[in-house]
Amino acid sequence: MSDQAHIGHDLAPGDEEQHDVGTRILGYVVGLVLALLLTATSFFIAGTDLVWQPSIPVALIVLAIAQMGVHLVFFLHITTGPDNTNNVLALAFGLLVVFLVVGGTVWIMAHLNANMPPMDQIMPKPM
Amino acid sequence: MSMTAAVGDAHADPHHIGLVVEHPGPAPKRIVTAYGFWVFLLSDIVMFSCFFAAYAVLVSQTAGGPKGSEIFEQRNVAIETVCLLLSSFTCGMASIAADVRNRFWFYLGMAVTCVLGLIFLAIEFREFADLVARGYGPSRSAFLTAFFSLVGCHGLHVSAGVLWLLTMMAQVFAKGFRADVLRRMMCFALFWHALDIIWVGVFSVVYLLGGGS
Amino acid sequence: MLGKLDWSAIPFDQPIPLIAGAVVLVAILAVLIWVVVKGHLPYLWNEWITSVDHKRIGVMYILLASVMLLRGGSDAIMMRIQQAIAYQSQGYLPPEHYNQIFSAHGTIMIFFVAMPFVIGLMNLVVPLQLGVRDVAFPTLNSVGFWLTATGALLVNLSLVIGEFARTGWLAFPPLSELSYSPGVGVDYYAWSLQISGVGTLVAGINLVTTVLKLRTRGMNYLRMPMFCWTTLASNLLIVAAFPILTATLAMLLLDRYLGFHFFTNEAGGNVMMFMNLIWAWGHPEVYILVLPAFGIFSEVVSTFSGKALFGYRSMVLATMAICVISFMVWLHHFFTMGAGPDVNAIFGIASMIIAVPTGVKIYNWLFTMYGGRIRFATPMLWAVGFMVTFIIGGLTGVLVAVPPADFMLHNSMFLVAHFHNVIIGGVLFGAFAGFEYWFPKAFGFRLDERWGKLAFWFTFTGFYVTFVPLYVAGMLGMTRRMQHYDVAEWRPWMIVAAVGMAMLSIGVICQIMQLVVSIRNREALRDRTGDPWDGRSLEWATSSPPPVFNFAFDPDVRGEDVYWNMKVRARQQSLEHEEPEYHDIEMPRNSPTGFVCAFFATIMGFALIWHIWWMVILGGIGAFATFVVFAWRDHDEYVIPAAEVAAIDRVNLEERRSLVSMAGAV
Repeated sequence: MSDQAHIGHDLAPGDEEQHDVGTRILGYVVGLVLALLLTATSFFIAGTDLVWQPSIPVALIVLAIAQMGVHLVFFLHITTGPDNTNNVLALAFGLLVVFLVVGGTVWIMAHLNANMPPMDQIMPKPM
Repeated sequence: MSMTAAVGDAHADPHHIGLVVEHPGPAPKRIVTAYGFWVFLLSDIVMFSCFFAAYAVLVSQTAGGPKGSEIFEQRNVAIETVCLLLSSFTCGMASIAADVRNRFWFYLGMAVTCVLGLIFLAIEFREFADLVARGYGPSRSAFLTAFFSLVGCHGLHVSAGVLWLLTMMAQVFAKGFRADVLRRMMCFALFWHALDIIWVGVFSVVYLLGGGS
Repeated sequence: MLGKLDWSAIPFDQPIPLIAGAVVLVAILAVLIWVVVKGHLPYLWNEWITSVDHKRIGVMYILLASVMLLRGGSDAIMMRIQQAIAYQSQGYLPPEHYNQIFSAHGTIMIFFVAMPFVIGLMNLVVPLQLGVRDVAFPTLNSVGFWLTATGALLVNLSLVIGEFARTGWLAFPPLSELSYSPGVGVDYYAWSLQISGVGTLVAGINLVTTVLKLRTRGMNYLRMPMFCWTTLASNLLIVAAFPILTATLAMLLLDRYLGFHFFTNEAGGNVMMFMNLIWAWGHPEVYILVLPAFGIFSEVVSTFSGKALFGYRSMVLATMAICVISFMVWLHHFFTMGAGPDVNAIFGIASMIIAVPTGVKIYNWLFTMYGGRIRFATPMLWAVGFMVTFIIGGLTGVLVAVPPADFMLHNSMFLVAHFHNVIIGGVLFGAFAGFEYWFPKAFGFRLDERWGKLAFWFTFTGFYVTFVPLYVAGMLGMTRRMQHYDVAEWRPWMIVAAVGMAMLSIGVICQIMQLVVSIRNREALRDRTGDPWDGRSLEWATSSPPPVFNFAFDPDVRGEDVYWNMKVRARQQSLEHEEPEYHDIEMPRNSPTGFVCAFFATIMGFALIWHIWWMVILGGIGAFATFVVFAWRDHDEYVIPAAEVAAIDRVNLEERRSLVSMAGAV
């Protein structure tokens, strides 16, 4: 299996379309600036009392997701192009599982906590 | 009958869709390797999601110990975050340098990445050591258990990344920019960037959400 | 110096494990001495242990699974005998030993029989079906196999050094926490699963990448044989679910080793979170096992009915639907834990929904058989036996998916009967069908049909005689894992089940006999064409056993059922006799990386179990060094010259031409 010329449209995750070095560096710079901005906003919002307090957690989560997106696009070069289909599909499947595991666990455990007494009251201590 | 024997055209489109794009054959090694590693990274992210889930379940179980807001120092976390972000950038520079086979910029980019990673680890280690010294170790409460595991798991990944980074530098030094070395470099870059993404989740969920009220 | 390890770790006071361990040890030593004396060691080392050939690795996976099946089966026999005699008495197994046996039985059967068996078959067959030369990462493939073997070795080591877990196959806390299980049993369990879990993850990544990125020219997604689709789905599940197991066991180990509080009763730990997380892995795991079996049945049913698979596209959809929905049903393993009606109802409904795509598959197989010219060879017998048995298992499954019914049946023998019904009837029958079906491909001769059919009938009837009584006992209120009992009504059913177990054992003996007889008569059973079953997919288009490079040319795929269509065309038109042009072929070099890495993993795992910290560090450094050495090598491929390829391929082409012309004459 040598690196023969590949006819189809396919791109490795992390690889970009052919660009010159200047354009590629510019991509990372844009990503870095955006990420720094989003991070700064997150840290600012977390400590501020300028905004309505209950909106802070929502804002933090939205900012985190946005920043993850920035990383994916500018550092990992995941795009919606046809050459990235497999990469995006794998990512989507992974995210679905992450969502199910985290969301399901939190939901199930919240219901258990609401319905059941705390463990230290129902379990005897070992001898 | 040889293996290349053509099958009648009737079989090419059995369900009469009309347009059949022929699959071009096995992908080149660079794509195969990076894709396999990408799948590994996704599985790693699923593993982290379990620690996130455990943290979400146990965050309120302080058992009389400290809450997050009492032990987190936002300044340290901000420094850590900036370190990792910059290291992601320099790692990107190093992979560009590797692609154009420029040794100087490759070594420089990797070295800076390594130093930033080590600063991150040093700050985290100091935070952990400080907490343990104050009696707030992972055995103190379920909340601290979940906190130490989630953040520590990320820290272990960064440590493994630093080890990998140094091995990569040594390999480029010994073997030059061979095709397999370049493939590994691409995987390393993916790994390092993915760790940064997980850190975004960590600082948002653990330090900022938990550190506020 | 040696951590917790001392002479008291060896169970001198318990004759059964000691004798069993000694017998196995003597057997292993005898085999080793025979190998060394006969001078087979270089052959074994060069051709098998260091091999990165997916076919060889697949065979070794299946060998590992078969050996472990005997071990897990012995545990099953001991349990059935114990429950048959332990009415108002202690039986012959003391509780602490009985508990280790049922824990080891479950752990071994799932992780070291079912998993390696299906992974072995996928390894062996999928690259052939896709028309490629190897899997995506050949050396990693070897690493994955040897890490699985490490896990199996550690589990068996617990027989003679220390003890195994007494906690059941999923080691639920708080029982598995240090305060209730202070021995090394749970550590053996957890570390062997962690190590073999890494191996499984590697295999999963490897096969996902192989299916998605390494198909031959023209092998579009919707032309892949069904087994490739189920392999893709199953390995996607491995990649997504095994990290959950790794994380959960890591949490348990942190609790045990460093005093963390994930699942403890004290300091706010949450026991229920373990059930939640482990089943978030555990339910997909069920489908990881059964999906490849579905794929095997699809291949077998279509081949032995002489028809294309009915409803291929609905089959693909059903497979991928199961792949996703299997992540949405895990709570049905703990309905009784108290999540309340909302949660239970939603997961109950999801559990019933997942039966729908499975039902679609059953109908597709039935319609494939309908109107076909069915040959009841041994693989087909297993397939038909599966359909009957699996439907019963599926129906009892839908029954326990109803939360109120589950409150009655939870943890009863009914449940035990249900999951054996689906795992034996689905996975094991599938594994046996695949074994019989692809054995000629792997070794170049068929298996003896007479012994094969005997094995099927004994296993099939033995299965019902064993497990129908367990359904009844469950309805009579018998709970699982009982070392002894005082209820007279259960006794007769336990005795019948023990008789069934004896029949199952005869089935296994028949299978061993089949292997022995077939190897002895291998010249009579020889298959020179590479296509003993009149097959339909590409694995039958190469010789048996396939050459190391699988195919002399990249097969050119123009539709579904590739090889069948090639044969049809070759019969209709005059055969091509011109000599094809052969090229050099590059193949990956063999590498001891996997074996050496597993050696260090074994040392590290053993040291972790016994808290021998210096040895842990040694093992870790060794494993890292192995990978660095591997990364440093300069030549990772070798070239098979065109002349050699031509010589190998011509022999097979000649045999194949005579087959096609003979069939065409009929």
